[in-house]
Amino acid sequence: MTDRLDRWADPPLLVLASLADQPKHGYAITQDVADTMGVRLSAGTLYAVISRLESRGLIEPLESEDRRRPYRLTAAGAHALAVQSERMTQVALVARERLRVNYGWACA
Amino acid sequence: MSTAQPPQARSSCASALARTALALYPAAWRARYGDEVRALLDDSGADLRTIAGLAWQAMPAWVWPVRHLYDRPARMRSSLATVLVAWTALAGLALVFAQLTQAQGLTPAGHPIVAWSYWVFDAAVLVSVLAMAAGGLPLWLLMMRRARREHRLRDMAYLLSPVVVPVVYLTAVLVTVRLVRHADGVGPWWFLAFIVLGFAAAAVFAAGPGLALRRLRPRGPAVTVAASAAAVAAVTMGLAGAASIVAAVGLYLWAPQYAGYHQGWPLGLYLPMVVLAGAAAAVSAARGIRAIRPAAA
Repeated sequence: MTDRLDRWADPPLLVLASLADQPKHGYAITQDVADTMGVRLSAGTLYAVISRLESRGLIEPLESEDRRRPYRLTAAGAHALAVQSERMTQVALVARERLRVNYGWACA
Repeated sequence: MSTAQPPQARSSCASALARTALALYPAAWRARYGDEVRALLDDSGADLRTIAGLAWQAMPAWVWPVRHLYDRPARMRSSLATVLVAWTALAGLALVFAQLTQAQGLTPAGHPIVAWSYWVFDAAVLVSVLAMAAGGLPLWLLMMRRARREHRLRDMAYLLSPVVVPVVYLTAVLVTVRLVRHADGVGPWWFLAFIVLGFAAAAVFAAGPGLALRRLRPRGPAVTVAASAAAVAAVTMGLAGAASIVAAVGLYLWAPQYAGYHQGWPLGLYLPMVVLAGAAAAVSAARGIRAIRPAAA
């Protein structure tokens, strides 16, 4: 069940969060998302997301000497990530509080 | 900048298949992201999930192309050519429907839904044909003038196919009917042969201008107007298809006295063909309309 819930993770959000650290190319994004967020992005999903985010001006490509082109977050992308993070924090707070009250779960 | 270093490049059958899956993507997408995806596959390797993911994501790349990549006039021309093929198929199906129902005077008494469906069908077909003519004619004239000016005989032949093909087809049908007709008409096999030949003629009818669009690459307001008109034509012809389905289902349910209409297989054949052609026309028309609007800065 937990694995299934992992599929709810929003790939665009994962990519934005990964790029909030520093510019990264495709492989570095997949590694970072897998290591820090526990989600494995496939090549098809990753580049579908990158093309959409680039189209919407949320990320931008940097110059590259080889095929591994890095991307960085734009100001609009940082704003979008901040808004989504705020919402997720709100959801997490509500969920934790209700779990604590109704199920006695103490989240770490 | 990230310092994540890729492992040693891996090569496998799965990687080769994953690279092959890239061929499923639009050319503009491949030109922009193809090298990067190949580099990622080199670094991370591939498995069945990777191949399936790449193949699956190719579909939205076609249906909802990212707007910063494509050449808008090229997108409109491509959509126009596809809409024309799908619209011609729908028009052919509409003709078959009209010949088998309205032309036979099949209107079951006491079932106004069939009569209304006929009315909607007629109105929608009329609007659709007018829209296609109004949008297509200026573009056709533009391309024909250019083909004549530049002595492009092949393109002129392509452009003349919508004029020549129906004339040839109708002449062939009329001559054949005159030769084979007996007291009860031409018989079901000849009728079927006319339908098959008609769809072949329709394919040539639609392919000619499509090829000319691809070769002559017109730009400007005529393409924009044609893309808008194609959307109207596609929607109205789709509406006609829906009305014909309602009428055909009505005849199937309420007109058992008419020979053949109590059988399910013609409906089972007709319905998916209309839905398929309608879906192709609608998706292509939507892509054309989307390409009219400039991309956001």
